[in-house]
Amino acid sequence: MFHWLEKHPFFFAVAVFVTIAFAGLVEILPNFAEASRPTIGTKPYSTLELAGRHVYIKNSCNACHSQLIRPFKSETDRYGAYSLSGEYAYDRPFLWGSKRTGPDLMRIGNVRTTDWHENHMWDPAGVVPGSIMPAYRWMFANEADVDTAYAEQVTVNKVFNVPYNKPIPMKDGSTETVPMAASLDAAKAEALADAKVIVADMKNQDVKDMVASGKIPEIVALIAYLNSLK
Amino acid sequence: MENRPLEYDYTVAKWFMIATIVLGVVGMLVGVILAWQLAFPGVNLMLGEGLAEYTNFSRLRPLHTDAVTYGFTVSGIMATWYYVGQRVLKVSMAESPFLMFIGKLQFILYIVVVAAVVVSLLLGFTQSKEYAEFEWPIDIGVVVVWVLWGVSIFGLSGIRREKSLYISIWYYIAAFLAVAMLYLFNNMSVPTYFVAGVGSVMHSVSMYSGTNDALVQWWFGHNAVAFVFTTPIVAMIYYFLPKESGQAVYSYKLSLLSFWGLMFVYLWAGGHHLVYSTVPDWMQTMGSVFSVVLILPSWGSAINMLLTMKGEWNQVASNPLIKFMVLASTFYMFSTLEGPIQAIKSVNALAHFTDWIVGHVHDGVLGWVAFMIFAALFHMAPRVFKREIYSKSLMNTQFWIQTLGVVLYFTSMWIAGITQGMMWRAHDEFGNLAYSFIDTVTVLHPYYTIRAVGGTLYLIGVFMFAYNMFMTMTAAKRVEESQMQNTSPMGA
Amino acid sequence: MKLWIGGAIFVAILMGITWMMAGGDIGANDTMGSLAMLGALATAVIAIFVSIKYVRQIQEEKAGGELADENWDGIGEYKNELPMGWAVLFLATTVWAVWYYLVGYPLNAYSQIGEYNEEVAIHDASFADKHANLDAQTLVKMGESVFIVQCSQCHGLAADGIDGKAANLNKRIEEKSVRHAIVNGANNLGYAAPMPDRNGLFNMNTGALITDAEIATVSKYVANGMKGAGEDVFQGTCAACHGSDGKGMEFVAPSIADFNPELVATVLKHGKKGVIGAMPAFDLLNEQQIKAVGAYVTSLSK
Ligand code: HEC
Ligand code: HEC
Ligand code: HEC
Ligand code: HEM
Ligand code: HEM
Ligand SMILES: [Ca+2]
Ligand SMILES: [Ca+2]
Ligand SMILES: [Cu+2]
Repeated sequence: MFHWLEKHPFFFAVAVFVTIAFAGLVEILPNFAEASRPTIGTKPYSTLELAGRHVYIKNSCNACHSQLIRPFKSETDRYGAYSLSGEYAYDRPFLWGSKRTGPDLMRIGNVRTTDWHENHMWDPAGVVPGSIMPAYRWMFANEADVDTAYAEQVTVNKVFNVPYNKPIPMKDGSTETVPMAASLDAAKAEALADAKVIVADMKNQDVKDMVASGKIPEIVALIAYLNSLK
Repeated sequence: MENRPLEYDYTVAKWFMIATIVLGVVGMLVGVILAWQLAFPGVNLMLGEGLAEYTNFSRLRPLHTDAVTYGFTVSGIMATWYYVGQRVLKVSMAESPFLMFIGKLQFILYIVVVAAVVVSLLLGFTQSKEYAEFEWPIDIGVVVVWVLWGVSIFGLSGIRREKSLYISIWYYIAAFLAVAMLYLFNNMSVPTYFVAGVGSVMHSVSMYSGTNDALVQWWFGHNAVAFVFTTPIVAMIYYFLPKESGQAVYSYKLSLLSFWGLMFVYLWAGGHHLVYSTVPDWMQTMGSVFSVVLILPSWGSAINMLLTMKGEWNQVASNPLIKFMVLASTFYMFSTLEGPIQAIKSVNALAHFTDWIVGHVHDGVLGWVAFMIFAALFHMAPRVFKREIYSKSLMNTQFWIQTLGVVLYFTSMWIAGITQGMMWRAHDEFGNLAYSFIDTVTVLHPYYTIRAVGGTLYLIGVFMFAYNMFMTMTAAKRVEESQMQNTSPMGA
Repeated sequence: MKLWIGGAIFVAILMGITWMMAGGDIGANDTMGSLAMLGALATAVIAIFVSIKYVRQIQEEKAGGELADENWDGIGEYKNELPMGWAVLFLATTVWAVWYYLVGYPLNAYSQIGEYNEEVAIHDASFADKHANLDAQTLVKMGESVFIVQCSQCHGLAADGIDGKAANLNKRIEEKSVRHAIVNGANNLGYAAPMPDRNGLFNMNTGALITDAEIATVSKYVANGMKGAGEDVFQGTCAACHGSDGKGMEFVAPSIADFNPELVATVLKHGKKGVIGAMPAFDLLNEQQIKAVGAYVTSLSK
């Protein structure tokens, strides 16, 4: 049979394809629906948080930081509760990473605060002596792309039914609603209002001035995102 | 016709050879920069504070991985395809203006895509999934280039004179099919601009979310390794080692079983990137178990090649080209043993997220992939450029300096990774974590430095290679192809 | 022979350095650590010695066998049988895989979360005795280890607050923090009645709201460790809640004269936002660890 296949490239290719495609189906299909169901308390990202997530992705923070806490005592001691599948339900793309040059950030919002991030992103080694993380000073001047964040909200809402403007069950039995604005201008206004809350805890004067003049620097969006990781 | 040697047309092969060299230099230069950045973070500011956005570690890292994977390695694959394909199918590109056109078109589009990739990654356009970073417009470009390669493979096969397909062709076909399937599914995404009408045109969101996205990513990621860093490289060694040494392949049966074994087992192993994650336990276990099985079909090819050289120690000792290939198959064995061991759940618990994985990656890519590509290009050069290889002693120096580089790289990352993994897990006498995270970073400094030195040595070897190839193209002594059967002619 | 010895030396050196660096951190009941080390050893040994085996064959044996009819660009192919060892191992691993999957650990026979729960139970049990009998000094030592892992990123290894980026814990409180609490009030720590701002702070001695000058002196007084000028203001304005020695009153107000474990526990529970910055509430620590880190922080300013 193999000799015959070796003389017929087309059937050879078909045989190879069947062999390799088969495993993929078995691996991927059975669990698809279940894995994407959100856990109680998992919310979609707000516009500002999404803009921050884009900053995170743009700078490949996932090259050094994971967002996946494995079920080991040593990891739950260091980073908090182990990750659950449904906690990632609104993560497109997922950001688990595959290398921990720096610590896991899955629940960083529980253990760090706005002013700490501000100091740290400006000069990591100034806060943590010996840190090899690069400083990200341009984020204090570059503007975040709120338009694209809003576009993503609209897209995931339309295409994947991500529940914006709908009550989402929380762990304590209450519900919360993550708003999605009806227009880009409204989205920008909302993001700016969120940015003002963050910036109130910051010290950098240029950043404060930018927000006061209606612009949102990347660092503010990024911090909003980091604070949302809980 | 059958009696007189065919005039093969190497135009496209030649172009891809040059691309391989250039992208190899670029990709590995960036790799070396990354290595120094981790040892000395000041290097993040190498072009000053103003350009730090483009020169810092995290912006450059995807550029390195993609430049070496889709730049250096894929050009190497194409260069060898446009050489080996013609020869083992016994048909010349010159016989089909259509396939000639396809080949040239593929190269030109490929270069356009590469340029777009470099610019877009530097600007921070990325989908963040490893080895699938490019945003959707570039993905479309990649797909077109790939389809053109398929046309070339099946076109040449269609007009072949050699009825039965040589082993190398099996592996090229497998690489083509698998990468096509994997790349397509993993990059499925919805461009947001076309739904919302605002925002960046480049941006898209993945079709899959969270755990599912991870599952598709590592089904892809693992097999991207398999079908870019393994299958086509095996295709190369099955041609170039027997050809250069004049030895017959040791065992057809071994070739056959290794090939089909590899095809069957490889796709099941992706779960080893997701051990102890939130994908279901049974899927992780499957990844681990199949990884262990995978040792054998992988080793099959390596053993087949080593046994092909049985009794030929004098060739290994005297021909640097064969040295490269023998060491490559040894490193292939090493990384396909190390990988499965790292895939065992308890070992992965420690190894995952550490530099031990990075070590594993580079003994594969530096010791196996890149060595094999260097050897292939060295073998092709005299036939393609009709000149002998410029300098054998430079080849030898390159071989030893790069071998030293790889050894420094993987030993330092091996020690660093295991140390880091142990420190993360360690508890002190009170049951509390024994180390703060930064302790586990600063302890690695010496190893990061050794790796950077090793990488730099390797890069120096790459420059020697580039110089040697350049001189071969332009200045070496002329030879005719008919004068070379096996061993490549080399100047002193 | 030279090869074998060389290989052995290489493995020994590689494993030796690895062991020196990392070996000490394998915990007594960390099977994963030990297995990883074993895996590393197996990788090194097998890879080196199998390679040497083939090198020996290249050096000493001779290729041969029956050639197949086909020939590609001058490349021939022997019809040799499969190498025995390889074939047997391939078959064996395949059988093992099928067994493992269908018989050994069939689909849902294993759960990583179950494994985690066991790990935690064993870990907690093995420290329960030790934690029950910690003397004061050991408690401080334990607290220090918690502090270095969880708190030093903000407060610094020396707990000095890294140039004002977080509170300096070697000293109860800074002048500017006191002033901030007086001017703005304070409501971080979950007391039933928060501290009022300056418009709610009466100086009993003068019968009027606290003045700018009084704020300045009393802030200095508190920051100075309850010494110097300002005692009268303090007694008149603050003592009602914070006690005449400033050491606080249960359920009313915290100590501002010194650190004590309860205060630290309260800060950890509620977090704290002040002039210096914000500290998150910490739910990562267990009770024993909170006690210990409280003892440690208290010991710093003693
Ligand atoms: C070169 C690797 C590297 C890159 C790239 C990197 N980091 Fe880090 N990061 C580290 C290291 C190492 C640490 C630990 C030392 C420290 O806290 O600075 C760290 C720590 C952190 C912490 C504190 C975590 C904790 O638990 O203390 C945060 C938050 C963080 N990084 C965010 C980011 C963000 C956001 C980006 C991208 C914009 C980024 N990092 C990019 C290496 C990196
Ligand atoms: C009505 C009761 C009351 C009075 C009067 C009062 N305090 Fe307080 N004080 C509190 C309470 C309650 C807190 C804790 C607030 C919180 O939850 O953060 C507090 C907190 C503080 C803190 C912050 C402690 C820390 O760890 O940062 C300082 C400093 C302080 N008080 C100083 C003063 C001084 C000085 C005066 C007098 C000028 C004063 N207080 C008067 C009730 C009072
Ligand atoms: C994200 C940074 C951060 C971390 C982590 C952190 N702290 Fe703090 N902490 C602060 C800041 C900032 C303040 C000062 C708040 C203010 O008064 O402005 C503070 C204040 C305190 C105070 C109160 C000092 C006072 O004057 O009232 C105590 C006690 C304290 N921290 C203990 C700890 C301990 C113990 C840990 C670890 C288990 C810890 N902190 C972790 C940032 C941090
Ligand atoms: C039998 C064959 C192999 C197996 C079973 C295997 C197994 C593994 C495992 C378990 C990981 C680590 C996953 C993690 O914990 O993060 C890994 C990572 C990796 N391996 Fe292999 N490996 C094999 C061969 C190879 C070869 C030959 C190469 C390259 C030439 C290679 C390249 C890589 C790369 C690039 C990664 C990193 C993926 C990432 O970005 O995380 N592997 N492999
Ligand atoms: C001069 C040689 C090279 C040096 C110094 C080098 C250095 C590096 C460094 C520093 C990293 C980042 C590791 C980290 O994040 O901790 C890296 C990652 C990587 N490199 Fe290289 N590299 C070199 C050559 C190559 C080559 C030739 C290839 C492929 C053909 C390659 C493929 C990769 C891959 C796939 C990764 C990602 C690994 C992962 O995510 O686990 N590298 N390299
Ligand atoms: Ca990776
Ligand atoms: Ca892509
Ligand atoms: Cu893999």
